[in-house]
Amino acid sequence: MHISDGVLPTTISMAAYAATALGAGLSLKKIRQEDLPKIAVVTSSFFVASLIHLPLGPTSVHLLMPGIVGALLGSAAFLSITVGLFLQSILFQFGGLTALGANAIMMGLPALFCGLFFQAIRGKTLLRNTLAGALAGGLGILLAASILAAFLYTSGEDFIGVAKLALAAHIPVIIIEAAVSAFTVSFIFRVKPELLHSVLR
Amino acid sequence: MHLADNGHHGYGPAAGELLFHVEGLSFDYPDGNKALADITFSICKGDRIALVGKNGSGKSTLAKLLGGLLPPRKGSIRSRGEEIGPSSRAVPRRETGILFQDPENHLFCNTVFENVAFGPMNRGCSRDEVDELVRGCLETVGLAQLMYKPAHLLSYGQKKRAALASILAMKPEVLILDEPTANLDPRQERILQELLAGFPGTLIIIDHDLLFLYDICDRAIVLADGRVHHDFSIRELVSSQDSLKEHGLDFTFRFACCGGRHETTSIVPHHHHHLSHDHGNNGVHVPAVAREPILELQHFNYHYSDGTEGVSDINLAVYPGETLAIVGENGAGKSTLAKCLLGLNQGEGYFYYKGEKIDPRRRQVLWRQVGMVFQNTADQLFCPSCREEVAFGPRQMKLPSSEIEKRIEEALHRVQLGGYDHRIPLNMSGGERKRLAIAAALSMHPEVLLLDEPTASLDPESQELLLEILKKLEMTKIIITHDMFFIRDLSNRTIVMHQGRVLRDYSTPDFFADRHVQAVNGLDYTYKSDCLEKIMDLQRNHLHPGG
Amino acid sequence: MTEALPESAVSIQLSVPASILPASLVVLSLAFLFALLLRKKKQSRKKGQSDWSIPHLDRHADLDSFFHNWNPAVKVASLFLYCFLVVSLKTLVCSAAALMISILAVYFSKLPWRRSLQRLAAMSGFLIMFLLVLPFTSKEQPGEILLIFPLFPGFPFHLNGFLLALTIVVKACAIALLMEPMLGTSTFSATLQGFSRIGIPSPIIQMILLSHRYLFVFQQELVRMLRSMRVRGFTARTDILTMKTMGNFFGMLFINSYDRTQKVYEAMLCRGYRGDFPTFHTQEVNGKDLAKGGMWIMIGFILLLTELMPSLPSP
Repeated sequence: MHISDGVLPTTISMAAYAATALGAGLSLKKIRQEDLPKIAVVTSSFFVASLIHLPLGPTSVHLLMPGIVGALLGSAAFLSITVGLFLQSILFQFGGLTALGANAIMMGLPALFCGLFFQAIRGKTLLRNTLAGALAGGLGILLAASILAAFLYTSGEDFIGVAKLALAAHIPVIIIEAAVSAFTVSFIFRVKPELLHSVLR
Repeated sequence: MHLADNGHHGYGPAAGELLFHVEGLSFDYPDGNKALADITFSICKGDRIALVGKNGSGKSTLAKLLGGLLPPRKGSIRSRGEEIGPSSRAVPRRETGILFQDPENHLFCNTVFENVAFGPMNRGCSRDEVDELVRGCLETVGLAQLMYKPAHLLSYGQKKRAALASILAMKPEVLILDEPTANLDPRQERILQELLAGFPGTLIIIDHDLLFLYDICDRAIVLADGRVHHDFSIRELVSSQDSLKEHGLDFTFRFACCGGRHETTSIVPHHHHHLSHDHGNNGVHVPAVAREPILELQHFNYHYSDGTEGVSDINLAVYPGETLAIVGENGAGKSTLAKCLLGLNQGEGYFYYKGEKIDPRRRQVLWRQVGMVFQNTADQLFCPSCREEVAFGPRQMKLPSSEIEKRIEEALHRVQLGGYDHRIPLNMSGGERKRLAIAAALSMHPEVLLLDEPTASLDPESQELLLEILKKLEMTKIIITHDMFFIRDLSNRTIVMHQGRVLRDYSTPDFFADRHVQAVNGLDYTYKSDCLEKIMDLQRNHLHPGG
Repeated sequence: MTEALPESAVSIQLSVPASILPASLVVLSLAFLFALLLRKKKQSRKKGQSDWSIPHLDRHADLDSFFHNWNPAVKVASLFLYCFLVVSLKTLVCSAAALMISILAVYFSKLPWRRSLQRLAAMSGFLIMFLLVLPFTSKEQPGEILLIFPLFPGFPFHLNGFLLALTIVVKACAIALLMEPMLGTSTFSATLQGFSRIGIPSPIIQMILLSHRYLFVFQQELVRMLRSMRVRGFTARTDILTMKTMGNFFGMLFINSYDRTQKVYEAMLCRGYRGDFPTFHTQEVNGKDLAKGGMWIMIGFILLLTELMPSLPSP
């Protein structure tokens, strides 16, 4: 779920913008310049993957994949997600342009965290990698939903109900995302394990 | 000093100025994969080199080394006095341009103009210079009218030419092309061939299609296992069937059946039945054969979502056991028709499977009976092992696991991939992947097998194997192909498509006798067969000198 | 989303505040827009369009209008600032005025309405959640109007919450509608150059350009892959086999994209890439461009200042 324009107070969206600029700036400094085009190309595949809707009972959900982006891109994940969200905003209006900062924080921070988490626990066996993928995938959504709720909460007392609802609405997504991430990681581990060492970090 | 080496290392017009001298060049990838070992040869200005060899023989690596994208591990490449050895950093050389196989990788900017302008702008040309250069290059490749189009709206052949234009805009002295004909239809291939024949500089072309290379190139370098096996004239290469066979380039299997004399194919009198214009006036189609068709389209039209016509007024019946070839130029609607036959494209008209009308809800049933092998294998293989790949269809059909096991074995054996169960599809060769894609369709036990361009970008050896396998499959087959040799060897009926319509529907021998239709469709069978004739003559002379 | 509310409601306090009138007007106009949208969607469904098609943002960049003839850098900068001013609005009346301005902007940009409506549809899920939830969960304030529905006495309907939600929706729509005139009236690269002029670092702009280009490539790849899965009997369900298949599918997609990164990078090197996307500075900024920009910013400030006047009710 992306935050659209007009929801967050201007001060919060500006602050989020500043934080995103800082994060992206740090990422830019850290990444070798020759990796930037490569991250850009990978970003488009994440973008496209997030357009797919999976059926969930009568409705459908699309994957947000902060966990898997973090696992694959490591510290470049924040930049990748910011670029992806900018494109989603200007092409589809998924998330407003003024709320871009907040959205980038909401997805980027969990991605960074999940990346570190994934690398720390993944070990060397297929089973551990798969489990680490599941945990990172689920955790990514949990964190993103929590940040969303926190943004709404700080926007005013009126939004508490919405914040709770948003948190609850993400529970099935956490489960689906964890399962799909697990399978994605297990696939990559079996077919091209070097990707999980994050060539682009 | 190195000019003196020229005589030792290879053939080449002595007149040309030396461009590259490669000495003892070796390269291995970080993962331990040995790509090149001790390569020595020279390239002179004006050389037109065909770089051939089996998959994995190191051709692409050599191209990247020459283009300066990889640094040599051992040995050196000398170019105009400048020496690139193991210690030097890989810097792309200004005078070499490389056209990779997938044009999408070259078109990384938004519009065609921006893509072509990227190189000259990097060189710091002024706006007017860039403008003039881009216009010139796009005119050369015939895309001037598409200059401001976004790259993703171009057709595959146009993308290929746009990519070529973006390389030409760098004004390279040496043009290296990696599989330029892959996935091109005969007409686009012809256009490319003419463009390349008109290119004034030095050419190095990596390709499997000797018929294409024969006319453009004069010299052939054959790589095997990372070494130069032969460096001689292309005439010598094509005339020696032994070395062709050795390097998996032997395309002569294609005319083994009729001794290379296609012209002699007899014209069998044949009744042309139900084309779009001559069916019964009560709207009932009288089948020419008394069998019930397995798939049938009647008055079928399909429009793309943007309103352009896909196929129109298709009347086509496919009978059990026959092998139907669909030919036509790119954009004639062949693949669109195939998707209609699969129910993926839902148009207006009547669509029957074994006499039953197919509507969207019944497509699942249809897909169990009609197996499809799409052109691009990369789009079809998404499992971590061959076994799972083949099991995917049966699992979706919820078959019992003992049955699934049986089908896996059977399907893998039918495509000669027995024992490949646990191999990773991604790491297999192009030919193996294609066969795996066929096995994945076969495991569902389809009654009809639809193949879209099965031979595209396969080397001749894999093509021969594929032909053998397909011949043994007894189910109804529908094959979309540009490959005249496959049509002749496999199909008994051919339909020719043109601008979304079925232009002709007749027996394959009739089709081969119909030179006019071939010309209309740019199929250019004539040209290729002339080429083949020449090559056959050379081979005969080679086998029986003076005879 | 709002149709059943006023009629079936029984209000405790009968004094209807002045703000209900503009609110109902806004509700009506929004309902109209969404109805239009639903109809369009139904039509496109019939033709079987795929849901994942990526819009071609600058398809109509060669028209001639107020927005087309505006220097992209100034346009992006001033409209971006204007968007922030609109976000800062607090009253429904001013937000509605901003919405009207945006509707006029789309009209004067001569762009087709379809894309603008699609943008509204993209946000609808998120915004409807606000409309449905806020009225029932917003904080109670003294002297507030509560509507109690006959069937749900335990869930009082807070008019203030509803007005707040409506203000959010209207602001979001106002900004979303402005996006097409802002982003679709110059070529994509010119628009992005505009963004680079307002401070987005150029490496990021280059990444955006590249990502944008390869979106289309991967999207086509994805459609082809899904198609070949479907003909092999795959139907997406809510079960573990679907998750596994999708997991494999994403894995394959990412691996393909990684393989492509190296090839694209090499192709770029071959054409003299040294870490910069070369650009020619396009149009010069003239007084007219700046005047247009000034006008928009002024409109934004006027809207903002109007709110500060005491005569207007605020929720």
